[in-house]
Amino acid sequence: MIEKILSFCKKIAPFFITLFLWRLSIRFWNPAGILALIPIFYYTFVRNIRFFTVFGLLFCFLIDYRCNLPLFWTSMFCIFYAIDGFQNYIEIPHIDKNALYIFMFFCGVGFIILTFSGLTFANFINNLWLFIWLNVLYVPITALDRWVRQ
Amino acid sequence: MTKDKLSYKLTRILKSALATLAVPVFVIYLLVAKPDYTIMNGLAHIVLPVANVVGDVITWPVRLVGQSIDWVRETSKIRTENENLRKKLDAALANKYACDIALDENQKLERELGVKTASPYKNVVADVQFDDSVFHHNTFLINRGTKSGIYKGMVVVSFDNRLIGTVIDCGSSFCRVRALTDADSNIAVRVVGSDISGFLQGNGKTKASIGFFSDTQFVGRQGLKIITSNISGILPPGIYIGDMIDETYVDVLRPNQNSRVMVLKYNGQDSYN
Repeated sequence: MIEKILSFCKKIAPFFITLFLWRLSIRFWNPAGILALIPIFYYTFVRNIRFFTVFGLLFCFLIDYRCNLPLFWTSMFCIFYAIDGFQNYIEIPHIDKNALYIFMFFCGVGFIILTFSGLTFANFINNLWLFIWLNVLYVPITALDRWVRQ
Repeated sequence: MTKDKLSYKLTRILKSALATLAVPVFVIYLLVAKPDYTIMNGLAHIVLPVANVVGDVITWPVRLVGQSIDWVRETSKIRTENENLRKKLDAALANKYACDIALDENQKLERELGVKTASPYKNVVADVQFDDSVFHHNTFLINRGTKSGIYKGMVVVSFDNRLIGTVIDCGSSFCRVRALTDADSNIAVRVVGSDISGFLQGNGKTKASIGFFSDTQFVGRQGLKIITSNISGILPPGIYIGDMIDETYVDVLRPNQNSRVMVLKYNGQDSYN
């Protein structure tokens, strides 16, 4: 019985974490629930959780809606999904540090586009802060997931 | 399913093809549907409340702790705030008689000149749900929507009647408001005490910039008061926006400075509902 419950908890954990991070949005630390990009990326590209892609897409859409960036992260997600699917040169699930560098690339491209779309020094600093914060948090969140699974 | 199986590879390519196909569809949609994005906003009106409710359920312990911390912090501030308020009250009382006289004279002048000032007799009080200031966009969600009679284009002000932003999208139980500091915000304004109009534009910073004055010789200076202008009837006239900090920037209210706001039921046709 306990094993079944634990198994169920493990199954819903990715969805739970995404929703949790999206809902706990707070100015400066998690504006518009942007930290939800971490589980969205990790569970789609690194762990390949079944049915998570649609869920991730939906939450990219919600992040876009709240950021007032129509379909920006949703499109980024689709582009990365397509690139990942069509190539077999890089196996993202087998990259070190839970594919931190790929995540940095994913976020970096998005943040660069957003920085240049509203180029001011304040925006540059804000975007830089968010980029660093996202990548710093990626490590413990993904390590925690790995630890729970083990 | 192992990764070597043909069906796995085929499924993966099919999914990737779908994702590839989605991108041009999105781009075409964005070009066609701009600026209303009816389908996208319609979808958000359904998904967002559901996600919010589920999110509320799973995050309540964390939010409860956060609210408790806020409450303790607020309580500790009350004494200092009380002392400051007393000082302000004393100063205000000292000016009261002068204000009473000015108000009487103003009313007398309005009667004599036949000036009719429009004032909103209907407004909706709403709580700020989320402050979504991120990247160069400053929007926030309020917890009232079309059910409360709020529609796109209505004006959001603070309780001291200071403009905060305009409603850009409305669900049944929530609204998205564009703050004055948002990079897409561009409103017509007027300098108090003159006929000089201009445009106030947000740029994602904490301040908004003012420019394109009707009088090209005019140079702004610190302390000038800025109010809304009714050019093209988009905003109700005469709502206080803020003071100029220097010749370019205006100190405007930001979403994080208000936890509760009022939505004025202004229909954009030079009248209030």
